[in-house]
Amino acid sequence: MRHIRRVGALRGIVATDGTPPDRLVEEARALPSMAGLELASGVSCRSPYGWSEPSIELSRAAPAADGEGQRRFRVVAYDFGIKRNILRLLVDSGCDVTVVPAATPAEDTLALRPDGVFLSNGPGDPEPVTYAVEAIRKLAGRVPIFGICLGHQLCGLALGGRTFKLKFGHHGSNHPVKDLGTGKVEITAQNHGFAVDPHSLPSSEVEVTHVNLNDGTNEGMRHRSLPLFSVQYHPEASPGPHDARYLFGRFIEMMRAGRP
Amino acid sequence: MPKRTDIRKILIIGSGPIVIGQACEFDYSGTQACKALRAEGYTVVLVNSNPATIMTDPEIADRTYIEPLTPSSLEKIVAAERPDAVLPTVGGQTGLNAAVQLAESGVLEKYGVELIGASLRAIKVAEDRLEFKDACRRIGLEVPASVLVGNAKDAMPVAEQLGYPVVIRPSFTLGGSGGSIAYNREEFAEAISYALDCSPVHEALVEESVLGWKEYELEVMRDARDNFVVICSIENFDPMGVHTGDSITVAPAQTLTDKEYQRMRDAAAAVIREVGVETGGSNIQFAVDPATGRMVVIEMNPRVSRSSALASKATGFPIAKIAAKLAVGMLLDEIPNDITRKTPSCFEPTIDYVVVKIPKWQFEKFPGADSTLGTQMKSVGEVMAIGRTFKEALGKGIRSLEAAIWHPPSGPAPAILRERLLVPRPDRIHWIFAALREGMSTEEIHNVSKIDPWFIGQMAEVIALEREMTAAGFAGATREQWLAAKRGGLADEELAEIWRMDTPRVSARRVELGLRPVFKRVDTCAAEFESYTPYLYSTYEEEDEAEVVARPKIMILGSGPNRIGQGIEFDSCCCHAAFALKDEGYETVMVNCNPETVSTDYDTSDRLYFEPLTLEDVLEVIHREQPTGVIVQFGGQTPLNLALDLKAMGAPIIGTAPESIDLAEDRDRFSRLLDGLGIPQPRHGIAHDAEEAVRVAGEIGLPVLVRPSYVLGGRAMVIAYDVETVRSYMTRAAQMVPPRPVLIDKFLERATEVDVDALADGADVVIGGIMEHIEEAGVHSGDSSCVLPPATLKPEVIDRIRECTAQLARALNVVGLMNVQYAIQRDIVYVLEVNPRASRTVPFVSKATGVPLAKVAAKLMAGRKLADLGLPVVRVNGVLELTVRDYSAVKSPVFPFNKFRGVDVILGPEMRSTGEVMGIATSFPQAFAKAQAGAGASLPTSGTVFVSVNDREKPTVVPIAADLASAGFHLIATRGTAAALQAAGIDVETVFKVNEGRPNIVDWIKTGKVHMVINTPLGRESFYDEISIRRAAIRHNLPCITTLAAAHAAAQAIREQQTHTFHVAALQDLHRHRAVAPTTVHAAPEDHPSPRSEHA
Repeated sequence: MRHIRRVGALRGIVATDGTPPDRLVEEARALPSMAGLELASGVSCRSPYGWSEPSIELSRAAPAADGEGQRRFRVVAYDFGIKRNILRLLVDSGCDVTVVPAATPAEDTLALRPDGVFLSNGPGDPEPVTYAVEAIRKLAGRVPIFGICLGHQLCGLALGGRTFKLKFGHHGSNHPVKDLGTGKVEITAQNHGFAVDPHSLPSSEVEVTHVNLNDGTNEGMRHRSLPLFSVQYHPEASPGPHDARYLFGRFIEMMRAGRP
Repeated sequence: MPKRTDIRKILIIGSGPIVIGQACEFDYSGTQACKALRAEGYTVVLVNSNPATIMTDPEIADRTYIEPLTPSSLEKIVAAERPDAVLPTVGGQTGLNAAVQLAESGVLEKYGVELIGASLRAIKVAEDRLEFKDACRRIGLEVPASVLVGNAKDAMPVAEQLGYPVVIRPSFTLGGSGGSIAYNREEFAEAISYALDCSPVHEALVEESVLGWKEYELEVMRDARDNFVVICSIENFDPMGVHTGDSITVAPAQTLTDKEYQRMRDAAAAVIREVGVETGGSNIQFAVDPATGRMVVIEMNPRVSRSSALASKATGFPIAKIAAKLAVGMLLDEIPNDITRKTPSCFEPTIDYVVVKIPKWQFEKFPGADSTLGTQMKSVGEVMAIGRTFKEALGKGIRSLEAAIWHPPSGPAPAILRERLLVPRPDRIHWIFAALREGMSTEEIHNVSKIDPWFIGQMAEVIALEREMTAAGFAGATREQWLAAKRGGLADEELAEIWRMDTPRVSARRVELGLRPVFKRVDTCAAEFESYTPYLYSTYEEEDEAEVVARPKIMILGSGPNRIGQGIEFDSCCCHAAFALKDEGYETVMVNCNPETVSTDYDTSDRLYFEPLTLEDVLEVIHREQPTGVIVQFGGQTPLNLALDLKAMGAPIIGTAPESIDLAEDRDRFSRLLDGLGIPQPRHGIAHDAEEAVRVAGEIGLPVLVRPSYVLGGRAMVIAYDVETVRSYMTRAAQMVPPRPVLIDKFLERATEVDVDALADGADVVIGGIMEHIEEAGVHSGDSSCVLPPATLKPEVIDRIRECTAQLARALNVVGLMNVQYAIQRDIVYVLEVNPRASRTVPFVSKATGVPLAKVAAKLMAGRKLADLGLPVVRVNGVLELTVRDYSAVKSPVFPFNKFRGVDVILGPEMRSTGEVMGIATSFPQAFAKAQAGAGASLPTSGTVFVSVNDREKPTVVPIAADLASAGFHLIATRGTAAALQAAGIDVETVFKVNEGRPNIVDWIKTGKVHMVINTPLGRESFYDEISIRRAAIRHNLPCITTLAAAHAAAQAIREQQTHTFHVAALQDLHRHRAVAPTTVHAAPEDHPSPRSEHA
């Protein structure tokens, strides 16, 4: 642990089969570095599908769904390795969700006439996921966008920023994140090794909205004029605290505001 | 939000004397709060009646008042200090109640004082059970159904409607006092009337039982910007039905899924917001039905609590310190985390270990008390243990209790076994192990006990390890098996028992196999960030995080769990040793396992090892740290029990040699020493059986004091006025394990007892304080009130005491502290006991004299000389003594009898008090009155006084009685005393003694017609009368005065209370001269101050 604290995240292998340690070290050295790996396409769904399952009763603490009779929001969710709880909370919030593969072109998405687009979490380095960055650039301004984790990093790239690999990734369920708008701190679940460099973002267009209190890294942003916001952490947090669930409400508000 | 600048001076109210349910955790929290607020630049005024606290050390607050926590005394302090705000949330229920009283009586408004931390409204909602339930329902949370009742008649239909069992909770009592569970109509009738009696507002809640449900607590914090964090989740091993203070608890919660936990976290956030606790820490309790998952909110404490102290120690997150900062407007994200330094306090600690808390009970001190655990807390202390697994932590926790390994009898009848699993008692954990050994299944044990199967499964794994080690045998156990056993928490001592060998050989084998623990840090973040605080625990793993530095260092062994006779006083001494030795340039290393204490605050010493105080664990810390010195004389009996073994293993024990300590406890050798010095002691003998005891008692002459050898706090002592008592005592003694011989002493009737604390450096001796007991002789010194300086002793007696003390200190080669107990009978000074170590009275003497004795003693042990320390002393009759200014200090005890229904309220040679208060004033009467008030038995200013004294004292009591009569009191007396008073022309009513007829004096007391009792012992004839009078007086919180010195003081104090008001005084004013110009040891002239005597 002290070693990792000094040199940063390392490649590693866990073995219980009695392989000699030097062999394991060799194997670990041969592993590719996370930087530069495009993993999203490997874990994404093959074809679009609809999702309508809400969250289970025990932990329903999401913003209340719209009342009876109100039209639900049509959301297209890009699957870069999407967590089911995100889908459940979107349903809870009043969305009809269509999940689409990572490489879905913007045109195909727009053809579905969504009220909003959701960009999911996912593994690996955001930089090689160029097809998604391209899609986001086309979607931005035409439809409200909400991104989480990898989705946030892709937004960062699409808006002209840079991403980099953190010395230590953020993992676990107790990361304090401050909302710079309200000054309030939320305890969040996180799972990422890359981050958006906030200084690389065009400040005239993009506002940094959230920051990590432990290491000061960027945790969220919004576009100053277009309906787009994203967070680095997991507001759907399962497992993890529910402090950030209000963000689903923000997405709903954004979609509502964008409706004719 | 920056801290508030509109307030400058803040009042903190402490929690008063240690009682069951409110122990030194509030010294820990209050001390932290004082330090935190002063660090932010605020002036802190502190008031607490308990002198044994660190918070009342004059350097902790700016202004320190050791005064009763009564409304009138608090108002005087507010008037004198004019604070801007009062922080009510760090002094336990007592501090909170006192602050609420000040608010409600208009005192705060009158002096423009603001409540910070929690508003009056929030306190009301959280504390009032019905309002709290309403608040929970408003936010959609479930609570157990309940009805508030004001009389027994209305209560019965309520219970019928809710269905048995029902829970009965009296309103506004501490630690669940008077509460219980009733399983049927008959039990309910009795329980409800008792509960109503206990409630000061004569109200009780009758509640739906959630018995057997899983029980949880969340320790949460909130700041002024509504930031909310959970510091720690705690799961009760014992399901609902056992008070959380009496439950084994585990942190973090072990058997919740994330979904269940997050639901609870959401509920906690909703509760603290709805109740309106704007800033600070709260504790919120939940119950979960294991069958359905239904969750209900049980209660909330809108303040730091016993559990928050535990949570702080369990996580490294100092809740009270942060709460104090939040109360002045700071935000969680503005306060750095002490441990990581780089990250803010706005986070939720991550725990990569398991913490187990186990309560410590002392039912053996309260014969007749019901040892069934229920809704009212009965434990007197607790231990905490840290391990990498639940198994390891549980094993460490059990051995931290310092109880001998106890195995229930093997092959118990199934019916007995099931009963022991079903009914929670202190030993249930051992019966679960026994049931597992008997082969009972986890499921079956769960079905009977309702303890979560996961816990029982873990215990089953321990038993499997035990079996494996048994099968392998000492010679055959492999390193892997050993490692598994150690990781499973098995102590060397337990393995020794399994193999029927001695522990040192087993430990030696372990070391031979290369198995030693490593030490890990409690760092709030599971090693994610670097930790700057060496707060450590042992475990059997690979990587050691101790980062030991080789520099001169001294290790201090703490006193373990609080118990009667060994509590906060010793912890205070340990803390002082750490403070003093840090000043002397040493690195200080603390070893202790009591989560309530200041000594286990990582701020107290340079390095903290949260470890059991057993030979195995302490030796491993010594092995890792290699200290230059080890101090054993400050932690009470716990470290002393280890002293000789530690020394034999090469530990560098400093201060008085363990051999001297041992000599003082060895009757024969000590007697020879006294004979050699020409110091008398009461006649005594030793007996191994009943016949011998009767013979020895006959030789010595009745009455005699009978007790086992080697005891602390007078366990199992009795005074025998007849042979029958001796005989029955011996019958009981024969059952003691291990069998010990019994000591028999002449009981000196009508003697005055005296306690002396002294300092010595091997050559010089300085008397710290001479305390005269103002309680009849025969009452344990820890249970009696005393006054410093002595109020009635003759100068030549005091001189003799000085002389003997100096002789004893030199003869025992004392380096550090020594306590001597004397009895003065007919001006002859007898030695009762010598303890060459810190005593219970050290903090009291320190506060009374302004000289911190334990700090001085620690320096002496590290090699400094008395002559170099610049103490304010005078030389009297050739003996150096700390100077006492023109004021008087009185110490009075506080008892837990209201927690033990049906227990005889008898004071005797067995110590029963849990805590103490101090009164300090310019005269003995005023100090006495303050101590009485502090202990909850304020002297009356009008009403009826009962007087009964022995013949010898009748002439002396006349002026006192006359004084009381002229002060407007109605006097009642037993026949003899009444006659004497009438003869002196005093108006007095005669009442029956207990066996003379009805209504007798006890009836008078019970019907509330008596307001003070003056009853000096008459000896054998009235021994039992006195017991019942005293019992009734204590039950009714009446001042019960047993010596004429005290009676005289009381009469005078009452006069003064009637005529003019009492003054409050800050320690910083009383001891101003101490800090400014201490006289050096040898500069003082030989003089002889006239002892102040209250009786002409």
